[in-house]
Amino acid sequence: MEPTENVLEIKDLVKDFPGVRAVDNVSFDIKRKTIHCLVGENGAGKSTLIKILTGAYTRTSGKILLNGEEFDPHSTRDSKQKGISTLFQELNVVDQLTVEENLTLGMEDTTLGFLRKTDKINKMVGVLNSIEPSINPKQLVSSLSVAKKQMVEIAKAVAAECDIIIMDEPTAAISESEIARLFTIIKGLRDNNVTVIYISHRLDEIFEIGDYVTVMRDGKHIDTKPVSQVHDRSELIKLMIGKTVFEQYTPRESDCSEPILLANHLTNNRLNDISFEVRAGEIVGFYGLVGAGKTELARAIYGADAYEGEIFFKGKKLKNDPEYAIAAGITLVPEERRSQGLFTILTIRSNVPVMNMGKISRNGFINEAMERNVALEYVDKLKIATNSIEKEAAKLSGGNQQKVVLSKCLFADADLLMLDEPTRGIDVGAKSEIYSIIRKLSSEGKTIIIFSSELPEVMNICDSIYLLYDGSLKSTLRNSCEIDSEKILHIVTGGE
Amino acid sequence: MEAKKDRKPILGSRLSDESFITLFMVGVLILVFSFASLFVRNFFTIQNVINLITNNWFVIIIGIGVTFLLITGHFDMSVGGVIALTGVLSVYFSQGVNVSSNPLANGLGLPYVVALILTLVCAMGIGGLNAFFVTRLRVPSIIVTLGTAMLARGAAQVITQGAQRNTSLPEGFGVLGSLGIPGTTIRLSLMIMIALILLSFFFEKRMIYARRVYLIGANPVAARLSGINVGKYVTSLYIISALLAGITGILLASEYNAGMANRAVGYEFDALVIALLGGVSIAGGFGSVLGMFVGALILSVVTSAATGLLLSPDWQFILKAVVTFIAIMVQRYALDRRKG
Repeated sequence: MEPTENVLEIKDLVKDFPGVRAVDNVSFDIKRKTIHCLVGENGAGKSTLIKILTGAYTRTSGKILLNGEEFDPHSTRDSKQKGISTLFQELNVVDQLTVEENLTLGMEDTTLGFLRKTDKINKMVGVLNSIEPSINPKQLVSSLSVAKKQMVEIAKAVAAECDIIIMDEPTAAISESEIARLFTIIKGLRDNNVTVIYISHRLDEIFEIGDYVTVMRDGKHIDTKPVSQVHDRSELIKLMIGKTVFEQYTPRESDCSEPILLANHLTNNRLNDISFEVRAGEIVGFYGLVGAGKTELARAIYGADAYEGEIFFKGKKLKNDPEYAIAAGITLVPEERRSQGLFTILTIRSNVPVMNMGKISRNGFINEAMERNVALEYVDKLKIATNSIEKEAAKLSGGNQQKVVLSKCLFADADLLMLDEPTRGIDVGAKSEIYSIIRKLSSEGKTIIIFSSELPEVMNICDSIYLLYDGSLKSTLRNSCEIDSEKILHIVTGGE
Repeated sequence: MEAKKDRKPILGSRLSDESFITLFMVGVLILVFSFASLFVRNFFTIQNVINLITNNWFVIIIGIGVTFLLITGHFDMSVGGVIALTGVLSVYFSQGVNVSSNPLANGLGLPYVVALILTLVCAMGIGGLNAFFVTRLRVPSIIVTLGTAMLARGAAQVITQGAQRNTSLPEGFGVLGSLGIPGTTIRLSLMIMIALILLSFFFEKRMIYARRVYLIGANPVAARLSGINVGKYVTSLYIISALLAGITGILLASEYNAGMANRAVGYEFDALVIALLGGVSIAGGFGSVLGMFVGALILSVVTSAATGLLLSPDWQFILKAVVTFIAIMVQRYALDRRKG
């Protein structure tokens, strides 16, 4: 069969989730033997598209042609058999097995259930050797660095004779020299007839290895063109953010009161010497892309993760203990509301007061009437849509769950409220409700820090914006009408 | 405001599913009890009903600690071993010094009260050891507590040279175990059990401490981020559980006037089974001491009725196995409902 020029043709692809169109009429082609980069902000629809290609999601409508043939995978196994392999950020290797065992995992040759040494293993090892000779096949995978684990996965994909290898942020967790090595390997793959779909937030990398680049925004396909025809990174950034009109918010004049929160040289395995201060009554936004260290910073301030350096709140040094932070007047709405914020098997009534149970009890005993009243008060105040406070938190929608988590934190009566991705995965209506709650709190004199990977979000509600990239604080801006979103995106994608 | 119309009964207020499971198991209890009363001679008598409870006081007391730990998502398989060790220690500490050429007759000669206090301290030490491994070193609790169970029983074996200590006991050693209402089978141990059940029933519904125990079981990560010191709570529960086992060990040693290394073999499994039968979830966050008590009664009715019917006591383990499987199925049902 004559190979088609395009290895993959995507036509009018649509994917709907309840209330959201994640992929909206996307059409573009991927040429054979190229490195095709996919860029866009968080939530642009990249991951959804990839998940459709790997069979994790089924599309709502549209068509995908693989080598000119209709392609409709129903499982990751399905798509692998048709020649698409994926390197996820969470690597798919088994630490407790040797490199060799990992390579043949799932396709071992066996006799009566016992492993047989066959040519397959030799072939696999040969492929690995050509990619990275320094890896010993008998070595345990747990002893390898992240970069070398990636190479094991790449070898596996190559040996399976995949036409397409998708790489999702492969450089997020590896060092500079390892990145260079990885790029050499990726270029080698292209020269051996493999098409690589490369996703990264680091725009410089696209100019380094990309042949083509596709930009997505808000689920839509914006443009696909050869990288050689892209002027510079600011052109890419323009395509990525478009002419989004941000809801106007005029930051209040800061009264320049005393700093309420002061961080000195915070460092841990994900944070790199971060120092900043936050003034009382301010709304501060930490903005950065996935992996920039936002959640890690929030957890460090809250005392949930260990760190070096010092944090002072109202002049008192904070400890490595959330209990202490809450007592001092700090609360956190965590990133993952279901697994970190909510007690999903318990009712709304049981969830709301957990951070301040002293307030609904006397001598260590909970007063049930007070407890009920508190829950009713917050259901009313935050407009939590439920017919009863006895409803299990698990049965609420995402937006209402987030409001329950917010209620928990508000009831703790803290002076500093931190919110990590406060509106992730919730619908537009609930989003704007949460913004107005945040503004109202601020007008009541609370200090608020938002950690977000959505630029419109921080531009919409924050007085100051702090930019994070790769665990470091890169820049501090005052929010205003003249704020330059292109410049911001330039910084958080690693530009100088 | 719609929510204000809500007038759900207090009974189902914390977890409606939990009350449902407890009520369901009460129904099962009534069913098996009626069945036994119909077919077993002399089953439906007041004395027998009292016996059903008194014969199980020890499992129910240790069941309280086991239940609260299960609610946090942790096992305590060391309680049987702790009963054996504390029984032996209470004897050894109080036996006279150099009273005989038989080494098993010589102890430390401490006053009985001091001996008991020291014994309970040792029990709490085992609980602390459990907690240390579970909360600090993050070893799965089932492995840790099976290990400390060996340790405790092993120590009991060494002290008794694999047998028992029952000579040169101080005067009054047997008082605690035999104290009771004359002419009945009601003893101090039973009264302690009833007091503990009432206390836990009262506390588990309304005390902040108990509420936090449920929160930890429901979601340990969220509990920590909500400012609950998870390690502290789990540690205190392991110490309480070991303390309850220690009290049980002392009472049993007093009742039999002997400290035996092979006392209470398998009690930890009985405590686990009755907790599961009573609707306590292995996954944590769900269950109650009241449910555990109902579970204990069901197990007691089933085993005693079967013995009275036709089976020889040899069949006891098979029966317990059957009951355990039923308990697990009820569990499954409870968990499915919870997800539903």
